[in-house]
Amino acid sequence: MSLLQVEDLAVSAGDLQLVDGVTLDVRAGEVVALVGESGSGKSLTALSVIGLLADSLKVTGGSISFDGTAFHGASGRDMTDIRGKELAMIFQEPVSSLDPLMPIGAQVAESLIVHGTATPAQAAKMAVDMLRRVGIPDPERRAHQLPAELSGGMCQRVMIAAALISKPRLLIADEPTTALDVTIQAQILDLIRDLATQDGTAVLMITHDMGIVAEMADRVCVMYGGRVVEQGEVEDIFLRPRHPYTDMLLRTIPRLDHPPKQELFAIPGNVPSPSDWPTGCRFKTRCDRVTAQCNNRPVLGTGHHRTACFHPLTGESYDRFA
Amino acid sequence: MTALLEFQDLKVHWPGKSGGFGKPKHVTRAVDGISLTIQQGQTVAVVGESGCGKSTTGNAALGMAPITEGKILFEGRDLGRMDKSERRALWQDMQVIFQDPVAALNPRMSIARSIAEPLVVNGWSKARIDPRVDELMALVGLNPDQRNRRPTALSGGQRQRVVIARALALSPRLVICDEPVSALDVSIQSQILNLLLRLQRELGLSYLFISHDLSVVRHIADRICVMYLGIIVEEGPASQVFATPRHPYTRALLSAIPSPDIRQRGRRDRILLTGDLPSPMSPPSGCPFASRCPNVLAECSAARPPLEAISEDRKLRCINPDGHLRG
Repeated sequence: MSLLQVEDLAVSAGDLQLVDGVTLDVRAGEVVALVGESGSGKSLTALSVIGLLADSLKVTGGSISFDGTAFHGASGRDMTDIRGKELAMIFQEPVSSLDPLMPIGAQVAESLIVHGTATPAQAAKMAVDMLRRVGIPDPERRAHQLPAELSGGMCQRVMIAAALISKPRLLIADEPTTALDVTIQAQILDLIRDLATQDGTAVLMITHDMGIVAEMADRVCVMYGGRVVEQGEVEDIFLRPRHPYTDMLLRTIPRLDHPPKQELFAIPGNVPSPSDWPTGCRFKTRCDRVTAQCNNRPVLGTGHHRTACFHPLTGESYDRFA
Repeated sequence: MTALLEFQDLKVHWPGKSGGFGKPKHVTRAVDGISLTIQQGQTVAVVGESGCGKSTTGNAALGMAPITEGKILFEGRDLGRMDKSERRALWQDMQVIFQDPVAALNPRMSIARSIAEPLVVNGWSKARIDPRVDELMALVGLNPDQRNRRPTALSGGQRQRVVIARALALSPRLVICDEPVSALDVSIQSQILNLLLRLQRELGLSYLFISHDLSVVRHIADRICVMYLGIIVEEGPASQVFATPRHPYTRALLSAIPSPDIRQRGRRDRILLTGDLPSPMSPPSGCPFASRCPNVLAECSAARPPLEAISEDRKLRCINPDGHLRG
């Protein structure tokens, strides 16, 4: 059974619908990647799950349930009980996510104390251990420092430590390594992978980096224009993509074995902003398979490998990486 | 042949906070002795992680960071000895594209006005400016009807095109590109990289391409220079450095890039680095990578290894690249 189940989620800012019918689920021990470009609705979907949408945004439809209990509409109290304990989130921007006036050790320990999981003394010790696990050098000394005394990469690791310390059952990671250097990114990704495989943590990982998806995800959910356009097992998505957008996204990746200084494949046009989303299929303005039928809204369908397209690729395996 | 741009043992040291009463000041050695040349029509990429000094290197060429020691030469002319008017004249030949097109554009100026700015500063007449702006917009793939729009009305990719058009306004020969596609959506990155490649072919531009994204660099660079804590650890033709990286740091960097090839999942040997990056305020006397290096020897911490030629056009700064020697 799925730990997290999102059904037909809709999020709006006033009259503008930004997330339009997103359905996805994450099981224990599984890493699900939510892939999309800016404005695709991937971050709003995640923020809806953890109940941290900005005041100007509202969940206007659908349902979210965690471990079988629906919590859209649950009281604030319910959310506070599980947020930070069973459900934690790593944000993209470390500096703005940390309290500038609180030592980092205390910030990491905070959720344990708030939820009464540990005494302050125990929590402080656990925080130091967690800081060591995320690769903070000299954690006993660093725990007493303020965020401003640390580099951006270290602040990111502090935030990750704060999210992981209470061993959440669901971890939402929104571009968790975008601000980090590749060698540190590799360490953090390994840590997240271990959490899923060893501790059975369910991970919903938001990223635009197809390399990270290929290395981390068990399943993938591709979003475009506020909707899910394709969903499936990671091998199906990479080797047998069916939606033209997924296919094009894979073809744009500059690859290490591509002849250098040659033209790269580029998706034509621009990522439209929500106020310019076309009716019907939202990718139709950039798609090479478009017909009149695409003026209607395509349905995602059911099954292991789903796609919302009237003219999907046949799904024949062909090697983009050969 | 005189190189278009040449760094000769460049050092950029930033004076820091006082170490306390009677103590010497901390100095941050952002760039600590690099030599590098860029030929006409060539793309030289400087790669490395945050704090390695790659951006400072570009900034020093632009006059935005002090030259503490060493020289930067543009066609043999020493930038450090130029007076203000010579320096201004050099702006015609050397321009820059930064990472964030939002911060690089004045939100209150129309994009045509932004593109025209370098021309206005250089005293072009209005009659010449208008057609030049049209020409530049066409060159970078912007629609002329967008002339009067503000940057906020454009997408990220279009804004970066405006920044590129402005950089090209005075027909420079060298463009310093500091992470030019890092802030863009993946579907837009390849459009901008294709544009940069096409402009190089058509205009014979040279690029100093500063980036942390090695798959992008691999695609666009002729030569690659890997920096670590203010110094070059490996340099050579991009194809060779990618095919056979020699420095343990270059290898770790390449192995850390997540591969989009799903069939390789779990099969790659990733070199995970442990240990800390030393502070550029107190760099070690030996090899700066020694604290994280899997091939480290006792003598690595004693003295900084020299950057030595290992073939006709490759250089390496490592005494134990293959790990054959044991400490």
